[in-house]
Amino acid sequence: MKRVSRREFVTVAGIGAAAAPFVLRAPKLHAAAPTAQEIVDRIKQRVGVAWKPETVDGFKAGDPSTPVTGIVTTAMATMSVLQEAVKQRANLVITFEPTYYSKADSPTPPAGRRGGGPGTPPPEAPADPVFTAKREFIAKNNLVVWRFNDHWRARTPNPLVQGLSASLGLASSTAADAGQRFDVHATTLDALVIDVKKKLGSRGGMRIVGDPHLRVQRVGLLPGSTPIQDTLKLLPTVDCVIAGEVREWESVEYARDLVTAGQPKSLIAIGRIVSEDPGMRVCADWLGTIVPEVKSHWVTVGDPYWRPL
Amino acid sequence: MAALTAGEVVARIKSHLGFAWRENTYRDTFKFGGPDTEVKGIATTMFCSMGAIEQAAAAGLNMIIPHEDTYWNDRDDLSVVDADPLYRTKVELMTKHQIVIFRMHDHMHAQRPDFTWVGLTRVLGLTSDQETAPQSHRFTIPETTLEALASDFKKRLGDKAIRVVGDPRAKVRRVQVGVGYATPSVASPDIDVVVSGEQQEADGALDSPEYVLDATSLGIAKGWIMLGHNVSEEQGMLEMAQWVKSFTPEVPVQLIRSGEPFWAPK
Repeated sequence: MKRVSRREFVTVAGIGAAAAPFVLRAPKLHAAAPTAQEIVDRIKQRVGVAWKPETVDGFKAGDPSTPVTGIVTTAMATMSVLQEAVKQRANLVITFEPTYYSKADSPTPPAGRRGGGPGTPPPEAPADPVFTAKREFIAKNNLVVWRFNDHWRARTPNPLVQGLSASLGLASSTAADAGQRFDVHATTLDALVIDVKKKLGSRGGMRIVGDPHLRVQRVGLLPGSTPIQDTLKLLPTVDCVIAGEVREWESVEYARDLVTAGQPKSLIAIGRIVSEDPGMRVCADWLGTIVPEVKSHWVTVGDPYWRPL
Repeated sequence: MAALTAGEVVARIKSHLGFAWRENTYRDTFKFGGPDTEVKGIATTMFCSMGAIEQAAAAGLNMIIPHEDTYWNDRDDLSVVDADPLYRTKVELMTKHQIVIFRMHDHMHAQRPDFTWVGLTRVLGLTSDQETAPQSHRFTIPETTLEALASDFKKRLGDKAIRVVGDPRAKVRRVQVGVGYATPSVASPDIDVVVSGEQQEADGALDSPEYVLDATSLGIAKGWIMLGHNVSEEQGMLEMAQWVKSFTPEVPVQLIRSGEPFWAPK
């Protein structure tokens, strides 16, 4: 990896020559830089969740023995997030979702479906310019990418709910119960939608079920991707569920039927990535406490979607 | 003349399909009522929503052929929902109107042509002379921008909650159409845009949103247009109604639209 000179370190840290005490401490900090593997080992010890034998969590790119200059956490390690990490001189990226476009997270595209005939393996997929460019960018910048999903969302309290409620300004609610339900100042569904859109920086990903004039006081949060069972449990106890990704043949139809039946209920789907993103800000804050010698920053993915006129 | 029963309608569906019924389907079965229910009229619909049931009943149609599930889970597993009061409400509604429900999903997709694609491409204005090969669902259109294409699709479908990933100015002309949750991968080098119904955003077989975001960062023209599950497959329920009508001449048959469930913020 590229060694960071003392001069560069000072620049990165944004410390002028006048800040002598910090400058003097800088080389020592650098010398003690933990490797990506050491940081991961510390995470495993401190996460408070027994490490699962079957998990998507693990290194997806780069050399685990790389000394870490800075950590970026994100919901999804897109090219633009990786570019921002490089700009911030962070070389360990901790991502909630895959890097290489699938659960398998393989740095090469999935092989073609059509085999050469019965019993022959599928042909190797041709090189894909997007996979190739991302692989090369990671290698060129000596980045290490580690996925942190199964164990992060298994924590109690749920950090995804913590992050989303904080972003929505619901964290200070005194009436929070079961960690998923919050009181909002009595409002209407359409006013809540405008507020959520603004606070989450949503561009075009929001979709709503329910009467815009519905009075809303109790809100439930279902970040990430959740099955019907979660909505069946939560929606009857609140006026509105703000969800990341729910199946349209499940929770969306259930919410629609509730509304048809005259129930004062609503559902706001904000998108999976948008719903998970604030939970990775919580992760950056937590990493600051267990890896204090390295700076951890959250980099938002933003709303992938827009909506045409 | 003997009254038409739901069982007879299903028997005619099976004999007109052109291929053997797949007995192992858990989807294409009676979901409410049964073969002996007398049929006054038939409604096809995308989702068997309570609104669609009410509309069908008001039109004097008591047999409903939905493409999707009735009880908010794909297997229509009642153990998932029967503790919920809304399940009881829905059952009461169907009982009151003597409704019989028979789902057509797996066999609709196995039919040739698959009406879901026929209906969607009809409304999108994609024509067979633009299709690269019959049933390829891949169309070459005059070059346009992703924004203009998405805007045109939105208007044609009345799709309020359409969502798009990609550079609005990206020049596109090779369009791959998908329906429902059968959304094709956007990574194929032969296509610029995928337009489909619904797909998970991440952690799947190929996560198109992330792929398109990265392609956009790299200046590669790619787009992903999500119409919503209902909007993408509802169109083909018109073709389904016409097909069912062709062999049930003694009762009225019509499409009842469950309609897009969403609205979008301004």
